[in-house]
Amino acid sequence: MGNEAIARGVIEAGCSVATAYPGTPSSEVMESLTRWKKELDHEIYLEWSINEKVAFEVAYGASLAGRRSAVAMKMVGLNVASDPFMSAAYLGVRGGLVVIVADDPGPHSSQTEQDSRFFAWFAKIPVYDPGSPAEALTMTLKAFEMSEKYHVPVMLRPCLRVCHARQNVTFSTPSRPVDVGEFEKNWTRWAATPKFRLVLHGELNQKIENLTLAEPDARPRLVAGGSKSRLAIVTSGSVSSHVMDIVTSFPEISDLSVYKVDIPYPLSQKDLQEIVDISERTLIVEETYPVIELQSSNRTKIMGRLSGHVPLQGELSPETVERIIRQFTGAEDSPEIEPKVKARRPSLCAGCPHRPTFYMIRKLFDDAIYTGDIGCYTLGVNLSAVDTCLCMGASIGMACGFSKATAGTHKKSQIVATIGDSTFFHAGVPALINAVHTGANFVLVLLDNNITAMTGGQPTPATRYAADGSTAVSVNLERLITGCGVDFLEVVDPYDYDSLEDSLTRAKTYSIDQGTGVSVVIARRPCIRTVKPFPKALVFEVGANCNRCMTCVRDLECPAISFVKEDKMVKIDSDQCSGCGFCVKVCPEHAISARGG
Amino acid sequence: MVQVILCGRGGQGIVFLTRLMGEIATQKGMDVISSETHGMAVRGGSINSHLKIGSFSSPLIIAGHADYLVSLDESETCNNEHFLRRGGIVFENSLLPSKAGLLRVDAAGLARAIGRIQLENVVLLGFSASMADLGVSFCDIKDKLAVETREEVRSYNLAALKAGQEAADQLKVLKFH
Repeated sequence: MGNEAIARGVIEAGCSVATAYPGTPSSEVMESLTRWKKELDHEIYLEWSINEKVAFEVAYGASLAGRRSAVAMKMVGLNVASDPFMSAAYLGVRGGLVVIVADDPGPHSSQTEQDSRFFAWFAKIPVYDPGSPAEALTMTLKAFEMSEKYHVPVMLRPCLRVCHARQNVTFSTPSRPVDVGEFEKNWTRWAATPKFRLVLHGELNQKIENLTLAEPDARPRLVAGGSKSRLAIVTSGSVSSHVMDIVTSFPEISDLSVYKVDIPYPLSQKDLQEIVDISERTLIVEETYPVIELQSSNRTKIMGRLSGHVPLQGELSPETVERIIRQFTGAEDSPEIEPKVKARRPSLCAGCPHRPTFYMIRKLFDDAIYTGDIGCYTLGVNLSAVDTCLCMGASIGMACGFSKATAGTHKKSQIVATIGDSTFFHAGVPALINAVHTGANFVLVLLDNNITAMTGGQPTPATRYAADGSTAVSVNLERLITGCGVDFLEVVDPYDYDSLEDSLTRAKTYSIDQGTGVSVVIARRPCIRTVKPFPKALVFEVGANCNRCMTCVRDLECPAISFVKEDKMVKIDSDQCSGCGFCVKVCPEHAISARGG
Repeated sequence: MVQVILCGRGGQGIVFLTRLMGEIATQKGMDVISSETHGMAVRGGSINSHLKIGSFSSPLIIAGHADYLVSLDESETCNNEHFLRRGGIVFENSLLPSKAGLLRVDAAGLARAIGRIQLENVVLLGFSASMADLGVSFCDIKDKLAVETREEVRSYNLAALKAGQEAADQLKVLKFH
């Protein structure tokens, strides 16, 4: 897998410290690092950090200490880490620092399809754009070298189609940890005041210019066709591999030179312009923003996003690229294939402890505004229990805003925020302190499954083990929340119908009816994917007294429960049922029962 | 050069099949590139994998170019049929009877009979690999699954693979192959 190849590159480069915060499509980088560490008995410190900003800072500290370091995140994680990212470009690095940022054009599993190469340009940080897992490995090694050579962080920007692609890749022997020497104090650099920052900015500009002139990877290189073709395509990253397959699959697409760019920023503008000048027309195909295109000084003969020839949004699928290239070369259009796609919507797992919590929130807070957050539990939308989803931690900040905007008006003023444990640690804590301090009134339900579930089950700061399985200090959620100034805090098992109902009712009285402040209910039960709570001995069935009221189907939205049209009956699929038994309590007719056990 | 789409619902074991076949092909010295679905969609959503054996650059199959479609869910077959080339074959987990170009097996039923519904993916693989050359042979898959050190996992997988093969043998008698 691309992410495994990147991890392998990190190990082979002699990196000493690697940090990450999970997020699709980047999560397997750290997971693979833990595997390589163990398999190769390789000396490297690994951590799942509390968030991307901290992850970046830990890696940056290690770089200043003279060690090679890496930090991995998804592109929206870079938004969180942007503060140290921008500043680190000015200050520079000591040990090579590689910032791995995985983009998600589509988007398949993200809030935006932003192009991190643009962020690299914004920060004046060089960026490698791999087109395949094999390339991701070699570019990781090159990125460490470049970072140390020019004393600047270097970004590696794989897209999802590289991260989650698998390919046979050649390994090399891992290097011993690289050490560039002890940290030397120099406040005009490492703690520079604005006056010195101006000097550092000048230095950064010089580094980028030197790199552009000296590095062959900053120049587009010919990868297919002759150099004297009539037409040229300039491409980079994962979409370049689609271009290669299309150019080699269709003989009618000919008289074409294909150039690939390994470092889209900083790009040798002179070399790019030479290609544009010698070609009749040049097509630029890149993902997701026009980074190469915008660096061209004369775009009159260029076709791309700015000229309207490449779509401004959405992933560039092979079919889209084929259509663009056919249009560009004048080759006959291939018959358009119209996929009849009716994709299945994702759903919380059968037995997911979040489901009863969402059900009870809906039952008790019928006319409320539900601010949601990022994780599996965004799927609370299926139960109509999530109205908003902005970014990590925003459920609490936005609940505060709703509370302030609706107080004393006729607007809906019942507000229930839901957030997972990992997301709460990541960005929810400052928002909760803010809400307590400003006297906001809402109920916060903390969906605590003791894991970062959505991304595959990574540890959180409350977990007793670290990324590599070694022992870690478990940070106590209750003490943290109380420390934020919260006076109403209850912990409840979401499978326990009555306790869940009672606890949420008390929270409602406290925050909504009496307006005393923020109340927090921790709904705590391990993720169904990590702990199977019940042996499959019990079989749950819908009895004859079911009157097809659809309460269970509609309000629980459990994947195991469905209305079978042919039989005109509600049925429980024993293949999918986890045996949590919550539906038994939900059925108004008491028609669901368990057999066996 | 073989191009295969594998599809189903999140949790049915599509990624497992893709990796298994990719690893076998790699061990046999073939070039492999594949693409998987991760993230939100694995919570029961639509899942597909692209598997390309041969000298390809892109991990994605261009619509209309797949040789085979291996589908664990009938409704997901519709979502992925456009990838098939003319004359391409579908292998499907279904109770319905087979017809030309659409070969079906009750993989879920056979898996349940073995004792684990989770084995439906391996049943379907055994069925498909017995009917056609997916780039890796039935024997290669069997050898690979036999290397598993956990006794229980190994015997379950091999039983599932065999159940798929037997279903294929029955179908071959009906001359759909």
